[in-house]
Amino acid sequence: MPASVGSGNPRSRRTREVRRHLLVYSGLIPFLVIAVFPIFWMAITALKQEPDLYRMDVVPFWFHLPPTWKNFDFLFHRTFYVDWIVNTMSISFWVSAITLLTAVPAGYALARLRLPFAENLGIGIFMTYLVPAIILFIPLARVVSTLGLQDMWWALVAVYPTFTIPFCTWLLMGFFKTVPFEIEEAAMIDGCGQLGALLRVVLPVSWPGLITSVIFSFTLSMQDFLYSLAFVSISEQKPVPLGVATELIRGDVYFWGSLMAGALLVGVPVAIVYNLFLDKFISGITGAAVK
Amino acid sequence: MRPWWRTPTARRYVFGYTLLAPAILYVGLLVGIPFLFSLYLSMSDASVGDPVASFVGLQNFEAALENQAFYGALRNTLVFTIGAGILKGLLGTTLAFLLVQSFRGRRLVRALVVIPFTLPIAVSVLGWKWMFDSQFSVVNWALSRLGLIGAYGSADWPVWLGQPHLALFSVMFVNVWRGFPFSAIVLLAGMTSVAPEIIEAAKVDGANFLQRFQRIIVPMIAPILFIGTAFDTVFTLSDLSIVYLLTNGGPDGATEILPTLAYNTGIRAGALGRGAAISLFLFPLLLPAMIILLRTLRRRQY
Repeated sequence: MPASVGSGNPRSRRTREVRRHLLVYSGLIPFLVIAVFPIFWMAITALKQEPDLYRMDVVPFWFHLPPTWKNFDFLFHRTFYVDWIVNTMSISFWVSAITLLTAVPAGYALARLRLPFAENLGIGIFMTYLVPAIILFIPLARVVSTLGLQDMWWALVAVYPTFTIPFCTWLLMGFFKTVPFEIEEAAMIDGCGQLGALLRVVLPVSWPGLITSVIFSFTLSMQDFLYSLAFVSISEQKPVPLGVATELIRGDVYFWGSLMAGALLVGVPVAIVYNLFLDKFISGITGAAVK
Repeated sequence: MRPWWRTPTARRYVFGYTLLAPAILYVGLLVGIPFLFSLYLSMSDASVGDPVASFVGLQNFEAALENQAFYGALRNTLVFTIGAGILKGLLGTTLAFLLVQSFRGRRLVRALVVIPFTLPIAVSVLGWKWMFDSQFSVVNWALSRLGLIGAYGSADWPVWLGQPHLALFSVMFVNVWRGFPFSAIVLLAGMTSVAPEIIEAAKVDGANFLQRFQRIIVPMIAPILFIGTAFDTVFTLSDLSIVYLLTNGGPDGATEILPTLAYNTGIRAGALGRGAAISLFLFPLLLPAMIILLRTLRRRQY
């Protein structure tokens, strides 16, 4: 902030700065509380003993019985939680692999090879990202059962690339445009073919783009609920979000402690990773860089 | 003279389209064809148990239009999308104007305030379901300590997910909670992409804050606000998880939206054709947002 004329006195400038900070903070506090409180509430619920959850006569924001790991214990030993985590990891691995193998070459071709219709093809691929699951899930149910994948987490490996490929192709297309042409030309003068230049020169300098694609394959897959709900109904085959949301309820009884424990244990790491890459997500879809 | 297919240009094209083929095939097979297939399904009497479907023309669409529940779902979808969209716009703009200031701890505040958007949606909806519990809601605890509502069991004890108007409000609230950080960050991206030199130049030329805001900031961030809103509309219109997990359309259809109606008809009740027809009613609602995005993306320059 440039010092304007007349604010030469350092003390008055400082008071003004302090006042400005207070004003900004007081505007931000409601937003912060509303954004963060649910996390706090879920965490404390996960660590409370059952009777401590159902007391309305005391301030509920802290423990009135000693904290407990019982809810986590229940999750790991009495439910399929471990299977759900393994399923989620496996799904993420295969979805990332499929996405990289298809989106990297596609993004490269669209960005670098001066193909006719490249721009329109790129936009066309990205537009499929916007065809929502709610329109596709019924026909895809048929596809899944034709492939013999119903009720297996493999069904999700098949369908999640329908949104990760378009998104990552778009992202990588933008990314490859920033790699200087000269390094490729130099490699080709040195005797590399077009494919050799891609594999030996362009990809090694593009690892930030590749990592970003893997991260988005993971975080976008974690945001899905509809596909897993529609295609996987066997307990052991579910990914974490679906498993937690459907298996920790018996009739009318909600196992709130374990529900919150299971939700947070996966939700928080995902949120942290997504957080670190959020600016790339925003600039990927809007074309504007966040500062 | 080399034949045309041996020229460097032709070889580059072959190489390029070969690289493109896997992505285009995958997306074509699992998005393009299913989309066409859903048009076919919507005009058939296909069901989960019966693999042989026969053509029934527009019967499924007519059946939907004759169904009272469909109109309720359509109305709720519109109220939900528009109402939540306006709230997200207002809150997002306010937050963006706060975050664009320079202050200590800005990065930390930004990281914390976007948590609702980055948390997997099913996870946070479960948290809200617990916070909206009919008897042990922490929201009600706070409100009753503040003296704003009566005791549990009294007439002014809100049952957030059990009373029709409150239930619609609650599902909208969770959508707004999840979406406002997205609006804010998109706007922030727009604001910070306005080069400070331009604003400085305008100041030197004697433009006051209002003029700078009207003539420079608004025109420059409007396209980005447009894109952000369009994306958010697509996400909101097509999201089923908030309503499905919080109320599953209840009480008595008060929060039924087209996605939950399509799911319950197509998968739960097994009437694939009817379900496909209902979900296709979303398409005309999505179309304006998609056209806006298409046009902006085409104009976009790297």
